[in-house]
Amino acid sequence: MEHTNTDMHDNQLDEPLAPKRTRLEEFWRLFKQNRLAIAGMVFFIVFFFLAIAGFTLTRGNTPVLDPALVRLQDKLRPPLTRPNLERLRPHEIPKLGIYIFGTDDLGRDVFARMLQGSWVSLTVGFVAVGISVLIGIFLGGIAGYYGSRPIRIGQLLVLAFLFTGVVLLINKLIWAGSVVLIGSAVCILISIQIKKAASAKSRSAAARLWNFKTISIDTVVMRFVDIMLCFPSFFLILTVVALLPASIYNIMIVIGLTTWMGATRFVRAEFLSLREQDFVAAARALGLSNFRIIFRHMIPNAVAPVLVSATIGIASAILTEAGLSFLGFGVPPPHATWGNILSDGKRFIFDAPWLTFVPGIAILIIVLSFNLFGEGLRDVLNPKLRERN
Amino acid sequence: MISFIGRSIVQKIITLFFVSIVSFLIIHLAPGEPSQVDPMNPKFTREMVERFREEFHLDKPLYRQYLYFYRDLFSGKTISWKDNQPAFKKIWERFLNSLPLFIVGTILTWTISFPVGIRSAIFRGGIYDRSATFFSYLLISIPGFFFAYILIMFVVNQFHVPVIGMETFGIGETSGFNRIMDRIWHLLLPSLLGATAGIAVLSRFVRSQMLEVEGQDYVRTAKAKGLAPDQVHYKHALRNALLPFVTMFGLILPGLIGGSVIIESIFAWPGMGRMAYEAILARDYPIILTLNFVSAVLVLIGTFISDLLYMVVDPRIRL
Repeated sequence: MEHTNTDMHDNQLDEPLAPKRTRLEEFWRLFKQNRLAIAGMVFFIVFFFLAIAGFTLTRGNTPVLDPALVRLQDKLRPPLTRPNLERLRPHEIPKLGIYIFGTDDLGRDVFARMLQGSWVSLTVGFVAVGISVLIGIFLGGIAGYYGSRPIRIGQLLVLAFLFTGVVLLINKLIWAGSVVLIGSAVCILISIQIKKAASAKSRSAAARLWNFKTISIDTVVMRFVDIMLCFPSFFLILTVVALLPASIYNIMIVIGLTTWMGATRFVRAEFLSLREQDFVAAARALGLSNFRIIFRHMIPNAVAPVLVSATIGIASAILTEAGLSFLGFGVPPPHATWGNILSDGKRFIFDAPWLTFVPGIAILIIVLSFNLFGEGLRDVLNPKLRERN
Repeated sequence: MISFIGRSIVQKIITLFFVSIVSFLIIHLAPGEPSQVDPMNPKFTREMVERFREEFHLDKPLYRQYLYFYRDLFSGKTISWKDNQPAFKKIWERFLNSLPLFIVGTILTWTISFPVGIRSAIFRGGIYDRSATFFSYLLISIPGFFFAYILIMFVVNQFHVPVIGMETFGIGETSGFNRIMDRIWHLLLPSLLGATAGIAVLSRFVRSQMLEVEGQDYVRTAKAKGLAPDQVHYKHALRNALLPFVTMFGLILPGLIGGSVIIESIFAWPGMGRMAYEAILARDYPIILTLNFVSAVLVLIGTFISDLLYMVVDPRIRL
């Protein structure tokens, strides 16, 4: 079989050969050389499955490993000790038969609590970064692709009407809100009329005023990014989380809504350079719609730097969530997160150091593996860096 | 140059205006009201709450509240809702407490990360470089609060010195030397912790800048004509690699007011971060908004200074 293969190969030498390796293989070949990044990826995969296992094992009314079961007889047992079988009631005996990470001051199994917390860390990281990347791609894409287009007075009017209408509706002024919303619909109709009449060469003064160009879309988006960058990020997150009711979803959303600025800048920069390239010009010449050009042709090419910053963003989102839990915000108490295990354990730091070290080292390993994985991705995906190394 | 300064000042004032609106909206549109902070408190009768709301204009529509607040802010009359102290005075007191942390932390960051980064770049790929790289990732990834507890345990067990707070309680009567040592011990840990992330990031940045410059033709020329390696590295390469760092002097300005909420809470350090945390817990809106405003001003001034420095240092830049 091999023989025939090489024969065929010899015969076909004259024909143009496609690159032997696919993109993915090439990527993997380069990625393999970075041992730290490989280690990061392995830890990441292990963590992923652990978190899923933790979610399934600790949920429901009678979970396999109950993170909330209080056994005061067995409090502050060091790691790897066996439970005190005589003094525990039958349903209190841990299923594993051993406290792998010890117990805390209420006798709860730290291993079960860590498993429960790993799911929180995983979802916070992914959902928060997902939100910020989506906002980043949306705003950055608009700024990069449509950036040079100006906003016209008519469009501003529509937006202003829409905004005030929604605000009025929120304040339960149904009538005024509806009237203003109808006003915005009227504005849209006027715009359409003016556009239809645009073929006529002489426009009326009113139409010219209606189409008067104000600032460009790009300016608006990037100024908005500048405004958001003026806030000290942890302080802003802390303020919003403290004011909102305690819930894990609020934390995810708030972290996502306050960290999209980097992704926006990356996507915009990529789009600005991609827009001028030949394949986009070709796509446009073929008469493809803007939608198709953006989603089929430009985003796949712009996604590399976003992916890198997203991986590192997950690391910092996990750190932020841990910091918030440590300060006592976020998930309401019976639910365990790595941050609040550590925060509860700090009172026993000299008597029960495992309560500090187990969650601390877990956070450290996960964040480190995400950082190393992200840096490895950056090295591989960036051809400029690749050549230098 | 003049036109750049004028343009960017106008731009920054507009940005600041929007920052003030956004921060005001974020705080006031969040559910709940400061008058309801302590509903269980029997002193908070309905009349008290009404008086409170009237006193601080909470019964007015939002845009009126906005105008009242920023009128007070610019005339320096903003007062904390918690204890009726003037906001600027409170912030200034806490700022003076945070200042030593900031100064020591900045000095540590800049003095440690430069030698480390330069050495990694010179011996690129060696064991030193690789371990420095790994350690900088480790320092970026370690949660500040966890690292704080490790350091506290280490220092307390090894040196038997107290480290929580700004100084040991009742130290006032002892001699001068003991007091100074006490202050230094208390200062060292929090400022080191504040500097860790900075050291890690900055040393990586120094390394990549050095590598960039070391690959340039003029460095190869300098090597080729037989200059001593030290002279090549420190005279030809380092001087050019330093360019971007000049601009970073502007960007450390916001750190003045940031203060670390977590570090200051752990060490019970009565600084800015801790005040922000307390203000958030007590829903002390004037303090939160004033802090936010001041820090936004510092961010804008910082970027402005760094742009200006870039223009002064690098004649190729024309903004």
